[in-house]
Amino acid sequence: MRAGSVTPTATAAPSGHGAPAIRVQGLRKVFGPVVAVSSVDLDVPTGAVLGVLGPNGSGKTTMIRTLLALSRPTSGTVELLGKKVPAAAREVLPHVGALVEGPGFHPFLSGRENLRRCAAAEPLLSTQAIPDAVERALHRVGLADAAGRRYRAYSLGMKQRLGLAAVLLVPRRLVVLDEPTNGLDPAGTREVRRIIAELHAGGATVLVSSHLLTEVEATCTHVAVLDHGSLIAAGPLTALLDGEAPALDVRTPDSAVAVQALRAAGIGAVAGPDGVRVELAGTDPPTVVALLVGAGVAVHEVRRWRTGLDELFAQLTEGNGQ
Amino acid sequence: MTATDMGSAPLTGPVRAPLMRLLRSELRWVLRRPRTQIALGLLALVPVLIGIGIVVSEGPGGSGLLTQVAGNGLVLPIAALSISLALLLPLAVTMAAADALAGESAHGTLRGLLLAPVSRTRLVLVKAVGVLAVAMAAVAAVTVLGIVTGLVLVGSSGTAHGMLTVSGTEIGPGSALLRVSLAAAWTVGQLAAVGAVALAVSSATEHPLVVLAAVLGGLIVFGVLSTIPALDWLQPVLLTTGWFAITDVLRDPLPLDGLASSSVRAGCYLLIGLALTLARTATREA
Repeated sequence: MRAGSVTPTATAAPSGHGAPAIRVQGLRKVFGPVVAVSSVDLDVPTGAVLGVLGPNGSGKTTMIRTLLALSRPTSGTVELLGKKVPAAAREVLPHVGALVEGPGFHPFLSGRENLRRCAAAEPLLSTQAIPDAVERALHRVGLADAAGRRYRAYSLGMKQRLGLAAVLLVPRRLVVLDEPTNGLDPAGTREVRRIIAELHAGGATVLVSSHLLTEVEATCTHVAVLDHGSLIAAGPLTALLDGEAPALDVRTPDSAVAVQALRAAGIGAVAGPDGVRVELAGTDPPTVVALLVGAGVAVHEVRRWRTGLDELFAQLTEGNGQ
Repeated sequence: MTATDMGSAPLTGPVRAPLMRLLRSELRWVLRRPRTQIALGLLALVPVLIGIGIVVSEGPGGSGLLTQVAGNGLVLPIAALSISLALLLPLAVTMAAADALAGESAHGTLRGLLLAPVSRTRLVLVKAVGVLAVAMAAVAAVTVLGIVTGLVLVGSSGTAHGMLTVSGTEIGPGSALLRVSLAAAWTVGQLAAVGAVALAVSSATEHPLVVLAAVLGGLIVFGVLSTIPALDWLQPVLLTTGWFAITDVLRDPLPLDGLASSSVRAGCYLLIGLALTLARTATREA
């Protein structure tokens, strides 16, 4: 599960065939002496929602900018929707919606006018379709009432919503959102989750970057963790949640007996304050439970022990750093 | 479209937006911007102020071009263009060029355009048209207000609504207006050169102020260089060298060599500026 050797494609590609929506190979980006991204390999299956996690300065935004041909890689290749980027960027980008490094709009124009200006540059929108597309996008992000106000007067959350609206102008095959919940209140955060869920349900592939782990846990099917420019873990969310040491928490008053029985069967177990933690390497929960019950241990509760992304994230970044 | 074919279907549909739509959107944006409107309004005041000054001071006095304006209204737009070309018109055009790439980059909107995507070559084309539009609007503002003020305030005492040339001859209103138009067109050409160079600077920075400082600073340096006799040999390459040629339109018969050579020089600056802009934009990280 380490060092980017994992291709999530193997485990859970919803459509199961065709090229991955994003394929990154040996991506490296250097700014002078600073290595921003180093040898990242990543496949994102079509239809997945990939959360890119990493502390600030870990290379998330640089990677995203390179994916979108805003920045050229020092070495390595990027394919979006089966096409090489930046070589075939003009064929791919109409189908890609992106919100990178915060929303960018003109302060002297209203939200609606800003969006019209974005829409004018969208290849997939016919000129007649622009007014409707703009209104629908404004409505979808809850800005319909504030559309006539100047962007200058928008709150941080409204600016962020307008950025999302620009992404939603056209039905997209791939959506890239760089820290979309920055500056949003809890209601706004829920909205973003809802929009991501809608995009996912519509079959689009979504890439969301965040330094908020709960955010990723709530919305993503796949996770990639970046630190100091390197991909240190990637895979389906469920696999990463189990971590590298799946275990079972068993609540029982007879912990001494339990540990003894398990160890006799060659299963690792540690006694805790109100039970035992059982290592699942080489065995599975039904076997463990059957064994315990067979040994006369009173089992009150059995729970899969999950590291939780928080813990995983902390472990990974601290272990890998310095 | 179901979820599955959305994933595997080939990419279809147009890969670029219609050019006219992009240009319209750019022109709307450029001309609706408050600072453009303020700049145009202030430029339109220049001929009005000159006209008032001349009427108030009554008759000849002072020196140079302005003395020609008294009682000779159609000289006013040319005098106003000549005076504004020294700094105000280049300022207006440079401001537009600064906003065109550096300003869009600073706002994060350049990213949006590139992601749409608008190809980088088209981006330069659209931006160049936007800057040219500001140059034309600025020149039009000065010229039109100059003509109106000239005819209304200054009048044409000596002539029948025509123009008294500096060569002492009198030309009719038709050919006088033609000469004013020639002066305006020539000024647009010179400003296009300034705009192209400003765009080149704009493509290399994300600070609009850098563009203003570089271009206006450059014009001032050009002015200084042209006053140093030892640097006479530099004259042919300085854009500002030919800027006095605008008063040639007041001569009879009309000498074209000064206007032509300065236009050729402006053309060179224009090409170099656009080439640099294209080269820099092609590799720009947005």
